[in-house]
Amino acid sequence: MKFETLMLLLTLFAPIIGGFVYGVERIVKARMQSRVGPPLMQPFYDFFKLMDKRPLMVHSLHAVMGIMYFIACWFSLLVLFLGNDLLVAVFFHVIAVLALTIGAFSVRSPYSVIGAMRELMHMISYEPLMVLMVVGFYQVVGSFNLKDILNYDGIPLLQLPVVFVAFVLAIPMMLHKSPFDVAEAHQEIIGGPEIEYSGPFYEAVYTGKWIEYVYVFFFVFLFGGSHYWLGALLVLFVFLFVNALDNATARLDFRRMVKFSWFVLIPISAFNIIFLALWR
Amino acid sequence: MNIHFVIIMLYFNLEGGMELYVTLSIVLPWIVAFVIYLAKNDFVTNVLSLLMLPVLGYFAWEVYFSGNVMLIDTPHWVDYAITIYDFGLLGYFLYQGIKNKSMLVSALAILQLVLLIIVILMIEHSNTANIYVDKLTVFMYMIVAIVGVPIAIFATKYMEYDEKGKHSFVAILIWFLGVMNFAVSVNNIEWFFALFETTTLASYVLIRFRMDEQAVKNAILALWMNQIGGVAILFALLTFLKTSGMYHFTDILNADSKVVPLAALGFLSLSALVKGAQMPFHKWLLGAMVAPTPVSSILHSATMVKIAPYLLLRISPVIKGTLLAKLLIITTGFVFVAAAVIALTQDNFKKILAYSTISLLGLMMLAAVVGTPIAITASLLLILFHAFAKGFLFIEAGVLEKVFHVKYIKQMRRLIERAPLTLMFIFFGFLNMTFVPFGTFIGKWIMIEEASGFLSHGSYVLLILYVGAGSAFLSVLYMKVLGISVRKSHGIERVRALPLPVRFNFVSIWYYVWLLAMTVFIAPFIATQIVPIAQELSGQMPNIHADHLSLVINTSTLYFWQILGALVILSLIHALPFFVHFKNVDTAKPYNCGEAFPRHIETYNFVCISKYENYLIAFSIALFVMVLVLGGGLL
Repeated sequence: MKFETLMLLLTLFAPIIGGFVYGVERIVKARMQSRVGPPLMQPFYDFFKLMDKRPLMVHSLHAVMGIMYFIACWFSLLVLFLGNDLLVAVFFHVIAVLALTIGAFSVRSPYSVIGAMRELMHMISYEPLMVLMVVGFYQVVGSFNLKDILNYDGIPLLQLPVVFVAFVLAIPMMLHKSPFDVAEAHQEIIGGPEIEYSGPFYEAVYTGKWIEYVYVFFFVFLFGGSHYWLGALLVLFVFLFVNALDNATARLDFRRMVKFSWFVLIPISAFNIIFLALWR
Repeated sequence: MNIHFVIIMLYFNLEGGMELYVTLSIVLPWIVAFVIYLAKNDFVTNVLSLLMLPVLGYFAWEVYFSGNVMLIDTPHWVDYAITIYDFGLLGYFLYQGIKNKSMLVSALAILQLVLLIIVILMIEHSNTANIYVDKLTVFMYMIVAIVGVPIAIFATKYMEYDEKGKHSFVAILIWFLGVMNFAVSVNNIEWFFALFETTTLASYVLIRFRMDEQAVKNAILALWMNQIGGVAILFALLTFLKTSGMYHFTDILNADSKVVPLAALGFLSLSALVKGAQMPFHKWLLGAMVAPTPVSSILHSATMVKIAPYLLLRISPVIKGTLLAKLLIITTGFVFVAAAVIALTQDNFKKILAYSTISLLGLMMLAAVVGTPIAITASLLLILFHAFAKGFLFIEAGVLEKVFHVKYIKQMRRLIERAPLTLMFIFFGFLNMTFVPFGTFIGKWIMIEEASGFLSHGSYVLLILYVGAGSAFLSVLYMKVLGISVRKSHGIERVRALPLPVRFNFVSIWYYVWLLAMTVFIAPFIATQIVPIAQELSGQMPNIHADHLSLVINTSTLYFWQILGALVILSLIHALPFFVHFKNVDTAKPYNCGEAFPRHIETYNFVCISKYENYLIAFSIALFVMVLVLGGGLL
């Protein structure tokens, strides 16, 4: 199959793949807590249930932004898969954040507004790191092109070990997992940006989150270069690690998150890249 | 009177050709300003400022399409005239310093007078032409014509809202455009000094325009800070004269790089940093907001601060790759991030815009000093799109101020119900400052791509961090401001569109359409319009071309479907909410955990950052001194 067709199919089915990933995640998490957990298809059952519900909204702007979040997420995934520049894909993701935060800001609910502000803090934490990671790939592969990275003979992981570690630690920030789930923080602000969505509109936001799973784990996959089995292993490992971390840690304050990103993750990744540039 | 001009033009067209258009671009705004000032008549002011738009645009267009580099000799008396003008100007500064009891202003004026006398004693006649018009100059003409003139048109209406002195105000604005056109066409650094100080004078007069206590105080601040830039230029001039005797930009660019003293270039860069309101000299630009809003608009977009990246672009071929360039990268990049961070703590809308200008100016200068063809393209793109977006945003700030009486972002609450159209424009302006398919983004993007190619020096890794971090902070800033203004009460749709004056709408739509058109056709636009300028400046062809409507940079492509997709999504986000109302959907109140609904919800004010503001400024002073001492090779 041609590369483009494969990628197009992947993008088209991304919500379904993301849904399965989410289903697996719920089972894995449950097993880690010695529970049985929901069936694998539970996210899809939820999907149909939500679609069936009476649509309720706070006001149209808010509802529209929920849908736009989903579209922007999907489109950024398309850009990641079919565009040839990773950096552009990273910046496209900001559009999704824009839709989500504008929506969350637009309602007069303290939880939603606090959630939106925290969402922005999430972005400050992970975006510079994503840029550095992509630049790291450029250092290794010599191109920002996705195809070149997937055809690279070496293993990017070996040359970017610190960047990889930093990125894995940043994944909880991107997917809102403990200890960095400050924007959602169910016990505290009851889901943050998504609290005011219901019915089909919530479904849009919910599915957008599934797409983010695909988006984030695909970056992990890239660390394997052309050794796809390694990429798959890495994804598996990171998936388990992130869930274990999610189960094992308590939520941190958002200041801790920003500080951790800015004073630990970003400097170490920058050093990795500097040394890589020096030793070549 | 206009028929008169046409006749004169036709007459000269046969004689002088392109040189005439250059001369007219420079001289005509001065004349028109003078006419407006003398006539003090509504009709004359409105019509002349409206006419400037096609006229200046046409001149720039003609010069642009002549396509060749022009060195224009000037009669000898102009030299003397400018020298005398210099003394008059500095004398005026001295007078203002004494009158307003400002030691700093008078001291700096005296210092400049002394230095100027030494320069005049040392200067020898040179046969190099004093006016130099290349593609960069025409690029600036274009910005002045397309971005600058609408601000004057806007001002003709703005000043009718309980402000005094409409005619002199508009006259000064138009004169400022002429000064700017002159400043970007001079080749002689002594002349450049004169024009540099004239822009200082113009900004001084404009900032002080309302003549209240705060305005005068801030104007004095702007005056002495910018005079430091003037002193730096004079030092640069002295160093040039002492070491090589050259004092023309073209001579310096053509000379062997060993002959050109780095110290002089260091001083020139310093004057750029001051003019570009880089920290620690950023206070003057913030102070400018006490003036009527068109002043901020014109200072931030088409004139004044744009001299800074212009000057660095001029000298970029000689400072590229030197220690000075690396130190400048570190300094301006630091300002890019620090100003964005401080902007988060502000609550005055105009101040937020001012900080984001300071921040983006840092990025423009950073790109200019990196000096590779692609970096220069990035710098030019940032200058252009920043000019449009900031002109636009300040115009909207003026509308908010006069029509809706909104100055602070706190008051912007629920703007979506009160001023939907204005908010849509502000939204679009903000999108232009940072989001994907727009020019500012492309500037940042190709900057990161370019810097990734030569990471072996630490300053370049820092550069990538700066660009990544700064753009994240700016996005957060814009989203925060937008978020506050879209806040709606639950369910109630009370959109009342207040009719706005025609001139306000004309200017807003003018910018809107330009930005939209340039963004859709951004790939061919960059490839055919921006790339040749970068090529001429750096002497090499940047590896950028357009593949139909897709933009190709080195090996990376920004496909047209990506540009269009992002544009459609963003248009939907910024415009759809005003038009779409789901009819068949029931509304509910937000969940509030059983508490009473809060009347107002505050947002983060980032007070934790403002504690560190002084540290950030102190650090920028350290960097500034480092540029001067190490970069300029004074040690």
